Amino acid sequence: MSDVPAIEVLDLQKSFGENHAVQGVSFDVKQGEIFSLLGPNGAGKTTTISMLSCLLRPNNGDARVMGHSIRSDSTGVKSVLGVVPQDIALYEDLTARENLSFWGKMYGLRGSKLKLRVDEVLDVIGLRDRANERVGKYSGGMKRRVNIGVALLHKPKVIYMDEPTVGIDPQSRRNILDSVVKLKDEGMTVLYTTHYMEEAQELSDHIGIMDHGKLIACGTGEELVKLVGQQTRIDLTLNGDGSNVMQMWQAIDGVSRVSAEDGLVSVLVADSNLVLPHLFEAAAQLSIRITSVDIREPNLEAVFLHLTGRALRD
Amino acid sequence: MIRIFDIAFKDLLQLSRDFKTFMFLLIMPIVFTFLFGYAFGGFGGNDSDSRLPVGYISHDDNWITDELHDLLADSEVIRLEENPFLSASNFEQLVANGDLAAAIIVPDGYGRAVLKNKTIRLTVFADTGTQAWTTIEAELLTVASRVDGAVRTASILEQMDLEGVPFEYAFEQTLSAWDEPPISINETSSPAIKKEGGKNNPLAHTSPGMMLQFSIAGLLTAAQVIVTERKSRTLQRLLTTDTRRIHIVVGHHLAIFLLIFTQFTILIMFGQLVLKVDYLRLPGATLLVAFCAALCISALGLLIGILAQTEEQAISFSLIPMFVFAGLGGAWVPLEFTGKTFQIIGHLTPVAWGMDGFENICARGLGFESVLIPSAALVGYAVLFFGLAVWRLNASEEK
Ligand SMILES: Nc1ncnc2c1ncn2[C@@H]1O[C@H](COP(=O)(O)OP(=O)(O)OP(=O)(O)O)[C@@H](O)[C@H]1O
Ligand SMILES: [Mg+2]
Repeated sequence: MSDVPAIEVLDLQKSFGENHAVQGVSFDVKQGEIFSLLGPNGAGKTTTISMLSCLLRPNNGDARVMGHSIRSDSTGVKSVLGVVPQDIALYEDLTARENLSFWGKMYGLRGSKLKLRVDEVLDVIGLRDRANERVGKYSGGMKRRVNIGVALLHKPKVIYMDEPTVGIDPQSRRNILDSVVKLKDEGMTVLYTTHYMEEAQELSDHIGIMDHGKLIACGTGEELVKLVGQQTRIDLTLNGDGSNVMQMWQAIDGVSRVSAEDGLVSVLVADSNLVLPHLFEAAAQLSIRITSVDIREPNLEAVFLHLTGRALRD
Repeated sequence: MIRIFDIAFKDLLQLSRDFKTFMFLLIMPIVFTFLFGYAFGGFGGNDSDSRLPVGYISHDDNWITDELHDLLADSEVIRLEENPFLSASNFEQLVANGDLAAAIIVPDGYGRAVLKNKTIRLTVFADTGTQAWTTIEAELLTVASRVDGAVRTASILEQMDLEGVPFEYAFEQTLSAWDEPPISINETSSPAIKKEGGKNNPLAHTSPGMMLQFSIAGLLTAAQVIVTERKSRTLQRLLTTDTRRIHIVVGHHLAIFLLIFTQFTILIMFGQLVLKVDYLRLPGATLLVAFCAALCISALGLLIGILAQTEEQAISFSLIPMFVFAGLGGAWVPLEFTGKTFQIIGHLTPVAWGMDGFENICARGLGFESVLIPSAALVGYAVLFFGLAVWRLNASEEK
């Protein structure tokens, strides 16, 4: 059973008139892993999620969620699924407890089991003491947490989270990321979408990078980073003329390239830990002060830039 | 299945958060019932007209019949009560109750038979023991024989083959020669029985009128619940659970139904106890009409909720039918005061059928059978509105 992929996506396509929102996306998500779809606004993440939750009918292709086809067995799909929509979808004039209780019923929970789960979820999202306030009066971050909590009530096998951390403060965001990892520890499969590459990199077992409706790369974080090579970039600012020191740096072992642009010197190295002391040493010899250092490990941002020629966030 | 009740309960919970609106929906109809009630009380209703009320139904479509009708309508002793939505047996009952002094039914083929000099009888319901009947009988005989005599004279003139004198011209001339008929019966005291409450209580009209009108006003909030659900994307979210679409729709319908039915129950009790409108004369009939009217208006609310794109639209989509249906449907001015055309136009609105149902019980004093057709019409509208709502929902979600 557990070698069946939790989600198996096969050439999904969806167009809105002339707008080809999703153009033939295929990927597999293993059971018990966190899979992130990373992409800028309009990449087609939500459209993909909507098809995978049977809200939109694909123009072409199919997908299986725990073996249930989204085309022919939407009831089966819905029965294993929890969805956290991108837009907060709650009844604002009801309290958090009333919301959770209603949604629990919609997921088929009843009676004492429902009550128990509502309390448990209120603990998970940290809102037990404010459970009897109307959701409409909550802050954005609190609403987000309830929005997530709803999808956890029935302990689904598979959970989709569509940009659950958009527009909230760093602390709430931290909370949410931690709880996503907890879900994975409990054995749930998570399909997560985001346009924050740090989140994708931190959370995911596998990442799919989407752009303009296409999956342009897919793999573990490491695999993806390898696409741009293993080099770390060190950005430095200097006071004084840098041309001599740049020549010295170029000669250091492990430095592959030194370039300067707008007063910022970039040094490409294989391992910043080994090279960095030599950079300072050389600068000291020439009495040049280094006023700032920025070490940029290879990351998904660079991958996206490499693959599309554009930054992930414009 | 049970999710229908979960959804209805959730809707009512949301509506209960707006308790002020619900009170408004109870207080406004009461205030307006008094306002309209006194306005009509002031008109004096039928009091200034001392002619005997006589029901009239024609199954015949012929110009001779129209002449008969006009003569009766101009009568000085009888006042024709016409309502295309009452049947012969309804009239019979009204006569039995004493609300009408008699009822005339013109059979099909009456006009043609008169023209061919064949014997044909008007059917008349009356309590022949009363003095009123003597008066009406004399008037009817006068009118009928005027028509008959005019036909005979005209056909004699026609047989004489006078150049250029068409039959109809001769008929009109002869008829007007009778304008001063040899027999003229002057009004004796009107024995048409006046009943307590019922007919003379102007509130027996305005109470159901305002109740129906303000039940539509209630849709304003109820429809908003549905609009908000769609706009906040909670409907989409509901569709990611394995809850069936039809259960969602029926759940919303049930919530609005319960809201309106509660409103009806409270206002009917108020009408019965305070305004002395006799709803409980036939409790079963009142229950049936209230049930069907609530079913119909709640289906309208469902439709409004699904059609409206914004909360503002939900408000205007509720207010427009409220005024149009209430106005045309006779919630303000009784349809009997208007002409035949208006009565027919009015009955294109569900409110007119609701009014018929309630008024047959508490103003006209008719029996249980008299509410069956109005109730069926209300259920018909309910099915229509519900069907449209489901169809629109499916059309708007299908992408
Ligand atoms: N219901 C719709 N009707 C028409 N076009 C749509 C619809 N939904 C999405 N689109 C279009 O499809 C494209 C992909 O949108 P989608 O919402 O899937 O992107 P996304 O990756 O989720 O973006 P974001 O990060 O902004 O949420 C966009 O160009 C969008 O305008
Ligand atoms: Mg999106």
